[in-house]
Amino acid sequence: MAEIRLAAEARAERGSAASRRTRHSGRVPGVLYGHGSGPVALSVDARELRAALAAGGPNALFDLALGGDVHLAIAREVQQHPVRRTVAHIDFQLVARDELVHGDVPVELVGEPVEVNRGGGTVEHVVVSLSVRAKPADLPAAIELDISGLQIGDTVRFGDVRLPRGVSCELDPDTVIAVAAPPRVEAPEAAASTETAGEAAGGESAEG
Amino acid sequence: MLMPRKVKHRKQHRGRLTGVAKGGQSVDFGDFAIQALEPGWITARQIEAARIAMTRHVRRGGKVWIRVFPDKPVTQKPAETRMGSGKGNPERWVAVVRPGRILFELGGVDEQLARAAMERAIQKLPIKARFVVRQGVAAAGVEA
Repeated sequence: MAEIRLAAEARAERGSAASRRTRHSGRVPGVLYGHGSGPVALSVDARELRAALAAGGPNALFDLALGGDVHLAIAREVQQHPVRRTVAHIDFQLVARDELVHGDVPVELVGEPVEVNRGGGTVEHVVVSLSVRAKPADLPAAIELDISGLQIGDTVRFGDVRLPRGVSCELDPDTVIAVAAPPRVEAPEAAASTETAGEAAGGESAEG
Repeated sequence: MLMPRKVKHRKQHRGRLTGVAKGGQSVDFGDFAIQALEPGWITARQIEAARIAMTRHVRRGGKVWIRVFPDKPVTQKPAETRMGSGKGNPERWVAVVRPGRILFELGGVDEQLARAAMERAIQKLPIKARFVVRQGVAAAGVEA
């Protein structure tokens, strides 16, 4: 994975009010820590950070330029505003090129499950991300899983997933990643009557 | 309709609807979701109407998750009643929703069908809401 160069500035002011002012000025407050060093409060340009995260994904490797030094870091936690989805705060963790680090990698289902679609079934994606261990440069942006050959009733387990070279994961090989479930047939009248009965019973007890 | 089986207190204060959602902000079960953009109370009837609108449009396949539960009782005094004499009777149940909250999730269908189904469900809700895609599912519709 390519390293993304990002300019950072040390932050003198701390606290929520100062962080709010930082955000208003077009920068994102953050912190850099790791390798036994104390935490350093910093800020990065919001537009640059957004472009970097869009290009490199959640496991992007950064060359963080701070006070004349360049630090190799990964984004350990990215806090986003729930509605605007702008980055509110970012944690950078110092890493070395040859050390193993943990990272969450999304599992992407690729391909059209023709047989499942023909039978009216659905593919249930159970595990959507894997916690993997790799060297910082080897952390993949996503792990793709081909489901085009899936048939109704089939299960894709972690043992079937082929991890990229240099990437390991301690998940149990029997863990279910995705299931091709058969179509669920609902008897409308039976379902309606059960619902009404449940509602009446619930209403009484809730009143008491 | 959704409602608690048993409650500790029959009547509650109304509370305040300030701020943004503290939890339930990410798409955790399905691939697509409806996210609230305004604060509000969503009644059990509205939740049920939205669910029916969604499942009827999808027809076959797909799985729906309801991420909010109406656990707040709302009271109402009978019509043509003089003021006073205490608080009214519990009439309906609502879910308190703040901006950013994921309301419904849908999985097992393609994005086009999910979007159409969820837009129909949004019409049944009393607040502004939007269709969102789980991060990692597709690049379209996901902002960095």
